Amino acid sequence: MTDSDQHPYVEWIAREAQRPVVTDQAARERIMLAVRAEPVPKRRSRVWARVFEPRAFRLSPVGSTLLAAGLVGIGVIAGGVLNNRDVRPPVGEPKAPAVVQQLPVSDTVVKFVFVAPQASKVSVVGDFNGWDATTTPMVRTPNSSLWTVTLPLTTGRHVYSFVVDGSSWNADPAAPLAPDDGFGPKSVRIVGRGFAL
Amino acid sequence: MNDDAADVQRVLAGDVDAYAALVDRYYDRCARFAVRMLGNRDDAEDALQVTFVRAYRALDRYQERDRFSAWLYRILVNQCRSIAARRAHRERVFVREEALLLNAPERSTGWTGEDEEFVQRVLSELDPLLREAFLLKYIEEMSYEEMSTLTGVGVSALKMRVKRACDRLRERWERIKHD
Repeated sequence: MTDSDQHPYVEWIAREAQRPVVTDQAARERIMLAVRAEPVPKRRSRVWARVFEPRAFRLSPVGSTLLAAGLVGIGVIAGGVLNNRDVRPPVGEPKAPAVVQQLPVSDTVVKFVFVAPQASKVSVVGDFNGWDATTTPMVRTPNSSLWTVTLPLTTGRHVYSFVVDGSSWNADPAAPLAPDDGFGPKSVRIVGRGFAL
Repeated sequence: MNDDAADVQRVLAGDVDAYAALVDRYYDRCARFAVRMLGNRDDAEDALQVTFVRAYRALDRYQERDRFSAWLYRILVNQCRSIAARRAHRERVFVREEALLLNAPERSTGWTGEDEEFVQRVLSELDPLLREAFLLKYIEEMSYEEMSTLTGVGVSALKMRVKRACDRLRERWERIKHD
């Protein structure tokens, strides 16, 4: 502990908590067993990674208004088509009013859109980014409640969630819910091979 | 290229056993954080299992410009948050009589299971976000900038959380003294 004016009790707690904990070698072996059951990850092309790394774009007020209007319009149309889906309100954002359909930019590039009027930051987490809420921040469309990000995804089934303000996990109101594993609401999406969802 | 980056390259080249070196290098440190954060070894072990497997799955997205430890810690912190939130409603049961340990700060004896249980109890009484900030600052000895990168929370907010955690601990000590 570096603060010289820290209370002795606080210093003691910190010092004791710094001691190592006893760990179980078998637990490490279980990790490696699980790892060996996974497909071997492959290095992504640097060019591909650079092209699709998250970026913030500046839009003029007029442009952002048109984009927001267009996305909400698509969401409303898609919501009408998909009104028999299992849709639940998002956790932590009870006032989020719109269901915005996620937009496939191509077979494997997907634009995620989430409505979160009260949020100060939103990110998408999923099996494609290690469930890390800091990896894929979404960008708020100026003067709107829409948050978006575009990602390349591998073909197949993906499970994801929207994280609002770093802690509140929200399923996608426009997509089927993933089976509950107790770690927060998540949605499922199939990517590629001509799937729209 | 450092050891971590070299091991990551070996894994991405198909040498899965190279991942065991990364697990061995970081397991103990991650275990300490997870146990202190979650308050028990079973939850901590769950968090570590999921963290290392998720890190492995996402290894192709790891950027060499980032430190592997910081990248791994981001996943661990998020995993601990998820488990803490899921289990927040559980009533924690402590079998130790706190009165036996009231004079702990003045003692100079070594680490015992009783001390560990007591420290875990004190830490678990902190709000999870305060506890997380306190552990990252004073147990993992990270700078506020590192903590900010890891948690996505601003430096000033993190300083406030650490200060509030220290305040809570001091208040706790004052209560103990006067009871």
